[in-house]
Amino acid sequence: MVDVSKLRETAREIISREDVRELIGYRAGTYGFRARPAFVYDPGEVDQLIFNPACVNNLATYITLEEKLPVPRGQEPDLRKVAVMVKGCDSRALVQQMAENAYERDRILVIGIPCTGVVDMDKVQARFPDVLGPGEISLEGDKFVLIFDGRREEIPKEELLADKCKRCRFPTPLVYDVLLDEEVAPFATDDYSDVEALESRSQDEKWAYWEEKFSRCIRCYSCRNVCPMCYCNDCILDRLRPQWIRRSVDISENTAFHIARAYHLAGRCIQCGECQRVCPVEIPLMELNRKLYKDVEELYDFEPGVKVDAPPLLSSYRPDDPEDFIL
Amino acid sequence: MAAKKLSKEKVGEVLQELSKFRLITPVKSDDVVLFREIADPKEAFLEYGNSTVPPKKVVFPQTETLFRFTIGNPELREKNVEEEGTTVIFGLRPCDARAMSIVDKLFSWDYEDPYYLKRRELTTLVGMTCVQPPSINCFCTSLQGSPFGKDGLDVLLVDMGDHFLFQPLTEKGARMEETLASYLEDASPGDVERASSMEEEAKGKIVRSIDPQGIAEKLPSLWEDPLWKRVSDACLGCGICTFLCPTCHCFDMQDEVERGEGRRARMWDSCMFCEYTLHASGHNPRPTRKERTRNRISHKYSYYPKRFDVIACVGCGRCISLCPVNIDILEILEQVVEA
Repeated sequence: MVDVSKLRETAREIISREDVRELIGYRAGTYGFRARPAFVYDPGEVDQLIFNPACVNNLATYITLEEKLPVPRGQEPDLRKVAVMVKGCDSRALVQQMAENAYERDRILVIGIPCTGVVDMDKVQARFPDVLGPGEISLEGDKFVLIFDGRREEIPKEELLADKCKRCRFPTPLVYDVLLDEEVAPFATDDYSDVEALESRSQDEKWAYWEEKFSRCIRCYSCRNVCPMCYCNDCILDRLRPQWIRRSVDISENTAFHIARAYHLAGRCIQCGECQRVCPVEIPLMELNRKLYKDVEELYDFEPGVKVDAPPLLSSYRPDDPEDFIL
Repeated sequence: MAAKKLSKEKVGEVLQELSKFRLITPVKSDDVVLFREIADPKEAFLEYGNSTVPPKKVVFPQTETLFRFTIGNPELREKNVEEEGTTVIFGLRPCDARAMSIVDKLFSWDYEDPYYLKRRELTTLVGMTCVQPPSINCFCTSLQGSPFGKDGLDVLLVDMGDHFLFQPLTEKGARMEETLASYLEDASPGDVERASSMEEEAKGKIVRSIDPQGIAEKLPSLWEDPLWKRVSDACLGCGICTFLCPTCHCFDMQDEVERGEGRRARMWDSCMFCEYTLHASGHNPRPTRKERTRNRISHKYSYYPKRFDVIACVGCGRCISLCPVNIDILEILEQVVEA
């Protein structure tokens, strides 16, 4: 577990630096057990920072989500660094962003958090729907400990752990400037049995399955906006001419949207699972992402978000690249 | 109109009777509760808290055709909403019905929107009380609503445990009572009294609140306040808070043409999207998420009450519960009050 006073002290030193503009971390949420992103601009604000298993958000998204307005005449752009707290999974987004040249390494200052797993907040909410909070979650051994309203509940880790953590191979950040705790050894493996189960279904079964899911989609684009790899300045979804995907919400356009979203992440998705976490109508987007992840690994022996200097899959070519799936 | 009693055992038969109309109820799609047209009463899922997507989509569909056309032919073939037929939404919550009565004011204001209003005319709303607040983030009681609220409803079903107290509230509600007469019994005199004490009890279970007094007047004075940057720092710019809001009603219109055949469709729009109010010149008066968040709050709590005398928020709590980054409208309003 990350020591919170050490976290705040480190944050205080970093935000006090002249070459750092802001620090993105976590703070307590407004109800229940929730935690949420925190934006710190001033050393006086660091005492709100926390880290616990409720800190689910992948903050790497904010590096590429920044809105860059034109700089007024006579002013210089603010090129100071952005400091960001990342767990192991989140750090892979930074790695992949930098591998794609989204920005230079020296633009960011990475505060690494070796992570022992985060909760699935829906599961917490379902168990304790009436807790106004603030409630606190911590991990003690193989149990999550929840403290709220003067009560203390211990729940076996497996019961509240987020699915992505059950197959996490990178609990310690792969890129960092400061590491807040001892490295955490990988505690899980990934056998892709979920993807294999999906693959084994017939075409008709798969279509019926996805038709029900896609028919629920309201096209709020939260899956795109939360994705640290969805950072195109000009996304095809917002384009009117040509309008690749219509704004109308029906099964045809929804399917086109979801296929486009998944394919644009092939060889790029780093499996942080944020898209599926935020989907208000619970579309299991990670099943699509993981199918493509597995295909890319099998076909090209490539894993995104692991090495900053690895050329991105879609912009590299080897003469012996397999091509027998091309129609 | 006198209240009647509807035994819960008869709800299946009632739904069967109502399926002669276009019948819309909460249904479960995997674990998500949504409103959908049902063909079989068994599809109805009435033991629910509240739906993820509000039933506003029945009267204000996310996408609807306004008219069809053929390139080269000046004739426009208008959509006839009447063809959708008499519709019953069964089992919606009081906050969502109240939201429709709020949105009605906009769609019947300077221009009477024929599509929306025709659909409203065709639709009967049979609501169900909330004995337990569906969410920790419910705050309807702060905004003139109630878990037993009647605004916008044609019939209110008060959940009395083993039966409902059937309260017709409008002419449409009286017609509904006639339609269902053979399933209704006389209510016992004690029920009506018990219902009002149950309402007080249900109100007492709502834990979050805001005093909206003075917010409409104060908001414009905070236009340049640093609070907007602070509350929107974490915003992702997605459409969850607006699309799942029962009172948000912004729409866009686009022509969709394929091989010479086209339609003009309108679809929900969201003030949180980057291309909302983007001008053809490339200028956007709301260039960042700060201005967009300010617009969302100001529209609900200032512009709308100033024009229509009612806040365009019913306190359903969906925007709070489903925000991926825990942006909380109650916290924003508290900051507005304190600023």
